[in-house]
Amino acid sequence: MITLIQTLIDGAMVGLVYGLVAISFVVIYRAAKIINLAQGEVLVFGAFLMWTFTEGTGYAIPLPIALVLTMIACVIFGALIERTIFRPLIGQSAFTIFMAGVALLILLRGVAQLVWGAQTRSAPVVLPEGAIEFGPFLVNTRLLIGAIFTVCLTQALHLFFTRARLGLRLAAVAEDHTTALSLGVPVRQAIAVAWILGTVVATAAAAVLLSGSILSLGVAVIGFKALPVALLGGMESIRGAPLAGLIVGMFEALAATYLDPLTNGAASGLLPYLLMIAVLLIRPYGLFGWQKIERL
Amino acid sequence: MRPTGISFDSFTAEARVLETRRARVWLLVLCAVLLVLPFVSGPWLLGQLSYAFITLIAVYGLFVTVGMAGQINIAQSAFVGVGAFTAAKLSGLGVPFWIVIPAAALITGAISVLFALPAARVKGFYLALTTLAAQVMFPIVILALPMSWLGGLVGMPVVAPKLFGHSLGGPKEFYWLALLFAAVATWCAFNLPRSRLGRALRAVHDNDTAASVMGIPVTRIKIEAFFAGALFAGVAGALTAYFLQFVTVSSFTLFASVWYLGMLIVGGIHSPLGPILGVAFITIVQEGLHKISNLLLQSDSGIGGGAVFSLSSILLALCILFALIFEPRGLAHLWHTTKTTFRLWPFPRN
Repeated sequence: MITLIQTLIDGAMVGLVYGLVAISFVVIYRAAKIINLAQGEVLVFGAFLMWTFTEGTGYAIPLPIALVLTMIACVIFGALIERTIFRPLIGQSAFTIFMAGVALLILLRGVAQLVWGAQTRSAPVVLPEGAIEFGPFLVNTRLLIGAIFTVCLTQALHLFFTRARLGLRLAAVAEDHTTALSLGVPVRQAIAVAWILGTVVATAAAAVLLSGSILSLGVAVIGFKALPVALLGGMESIRGAPLAGLIVGMFEALAATYLDPLTNGAASGLLPYLLMIAVLLIRPYGLFGWQKIERL
Repeated sequence: MRPTGISFDSFTAEARVLETRRARVWLLVLCAVLLVLPFVSGPWLLGQLSYAFITLIAVYGLFVTVGMAGQINIAQSAFVGVGAFTAAKLSGLGVPFWIVIPAAALITGAISVLFALPAARVKGFYLALTTLAAQVMFPIVILALPMSWLGGLVGMPVVAPKLFGHSLGGPKEFYWLALLFAAVATWCAFNLPRSRLGRALRAVHDNDTAASVMGIPVTRIKIEAFFAGALFAGVAGALTAYFLQFVTVSSFTLFASVWYLGMLIVGGIHSPLGPILGVAFITIVQEGLHKISNLLLQSDSGIGGGAVFSLSSILLALCILFALIFEPRGLAHLWHTTKTTFRLWPFPRN
């Protein structure tokens, strides 16, 4: 019983980090209608930028200043992606946009490998390590702080998208580009804001996920793990993402504990993707998405 | 538009792919050159060409699924992998290659149908995600299966194909084998757009609501598009297995899928000429990069193998982005316009 509850707690904590990455998918999709496959690479890029500012420069930059510098670099990075790749493709078909995302994926991976090299290095410690005891259960401090951060960020972004003027504009752009334009909403600006938000959230996720652990190019897999989470929560729903993250994280932890010994370690790896196919078959708009997926 | 002076006196003459005698003669010359090439060239070129032929078959598969039917498939390399592992397993059991290759194609097709089923519910982006799931799940499944089934982490050796007691494993013999299959695949790819199925695929690509109004079973056609594309992938996979004579999971990555898609996009997704031009262009660029980087590696300029790999992926990404933004119809379109310009010179095109 203790194992079960401990497994569920661990799964929930990791799941909320998945949720955080999923939010970065959702933020971009809500405004730009782009499922950015390269989100995992964007996250790794953010992590490498953070490493550069905390340890890579050779100067002892205090952590808060380094984080601020990282965020500024991320904003520039997000704006750069939008300006050079996705702005010329506004109004193109879904296939074109998708392929641009795929091209971005290998471009970022190549650039990251060229600039920072393929070797693994230790990621900067942003959040305190250790564990808090609740009775017989242990909770990882880093993940707990990350989980609280995820919940707060979700609420803040939700308010931004439903209350703030700029956020409502983004929602209008997500609904339909032509309508938004005819109502005087600047589509380009909205999409730029979405990309900047997306990269910043992804970098925040990198900080939570990697703090004190290993940073390498392989971390980008998290993007593909968070994609099923974003789909399950609904691509338009900010608040759906952490909830779906909880579900996926807990199921994955359960599968890792109870099914992996029987299946040679495959169950927990396959689960998110099987879940993704199931979601697409049964409820393509996810738990809280807008129900307007075209189908026949 | 045809040049003036070309007219037809029968429907069959007009329906031909190669309309003029001159085109047919050029094709015969090309075939003859490709057939006698092994007698004059070294094994390195033959190996490169054999591999290019295999890649071409896989890219033709993508042309059917992505170019003609408009269904995004980012798992072509996983499907090639399924074909390769099927071929490795069957050849290990002593099955002759002329049964192995069709069997690999059919099994790959059957598996692709499994991942095309969500087409009944979703389309576009969302359908692409199921193929992404297929690509990501492929290595996990192979690695988790017992070693004795598909080799697991180590991989599987492949017995060289045999015909009437002669081994086809040598570079010359394998070149002819790959050429034969590439020729068949080319014939299929050029004729499919003219068939009933091909027109149905095109209709689904252009507008699936209109297609269903015309009486086309859209979901079935989409699944058939995936099936047809995976047949090509299965053949390519079986040939890859025979070519490398060893299969491991690490040869069939998401990256390889992206390379296939990149070749299709750079070549042009709407014309069967596209895959040929795309494969040729990307292969030449990649080989050029390898040559340059080999020179750099020998001259001790501090560039490692990782940098070469990252440079080639950056180059491919830039090729794809450039094609998407500036020439979405690819090299095939460029080829057509150049040809027209030359034909009409000194008059302007259009």
